[in-house]
Amino acid sequence: MKRRSFLKGTLATGAAAVAVNAGLLTPSTVLADWNAKAFNAKTTDDALSGVFGSASTADSGDIKLKAPAIAENGAVTPVTVDASGIDGVETIAIMASKNPMPLVCEYTFASNAVGYVSTRIKMGQTMNVIAVVKAGGKLLKAQQEVKVTIGGCGG
Amino acid sequence: MSIKIRMRGKSKGGVAEVKALIKHPMESGARMNKKTGKPYPAKYIDMVTVAVNGTPAVDAQWSGAVSANPYMAVKVKANAGDEVSVSITDNTGAKGTSTIKLK
Repeated sequence: MKRRSFLKGTLATGAAAVAVNAGLLTPSTVLADWNAKAFNAKTTDDALSGVFGSASTADSGDIKLKAPAIAENGAVTPVTVDASGIDGVETIAIMASKNPMPLVCEYTFASNAVGYVSTRIKMGQTMNVIAVVKAGGKLLKAQQEVKVTIGGCGG
Repeated sequence: MSIKIRMRGKSKGGVAEVKALIKHPMESGARMNKKTGKPYPAKYIDMVTVAVNGTPAVDAQWSGAVSANPYMAVKVKANAGDEVSVSITDNTGAKGTSTIKLK
């Protein structure tokens, strides 16, 4: 958290560009701010390894994953992940299993937040929406199939 | 031009649900322009931070697979009168910030 806010601060003042030019920071260090490795991964397992460093998850009934059974328009699929019943939620990642790049978004929570996220995602075809929650060093998973009648990608 | 964010938030029993609606194309870079045969250039929000009274509470990273004009709701521990802000940056460096007082 601290390192990220530090990077943000330097980016905001434009000092990062100077630092890169001076060779103090290699471009990869700066880009590490956004988790490119995880977001560019082509499989859910690779994406999980990119986010959490591990792809072994356990199914959990404590995660409330709300997604429509049938999405008429895959470009706006409402997804809600409610992990407020779990103590010490650190991260929530939302993935769409058959998207070209499965990882859609990841949320990191500080102690003054509750493990709850609601958003809208794009889905190209019928597939599973997977929510992975990291809490207390464990990876918990919940998934639900969403039938997509009109794809959200490719236009 | 800064990115427009509309926000709403209400605290109940020490936990506030903060909702944000962002005006943004969220172009993933994979969608083809059929006329030219080239993809539309990527332009999507990649970093989102929600802060309560200036302290970061939720830090999010997004890909281009979040829907256009994104809607986001998160819950933070805050009371009525606390200031909640949402700051975003997209992959082209465009920024947007919005702050509200919780009801």
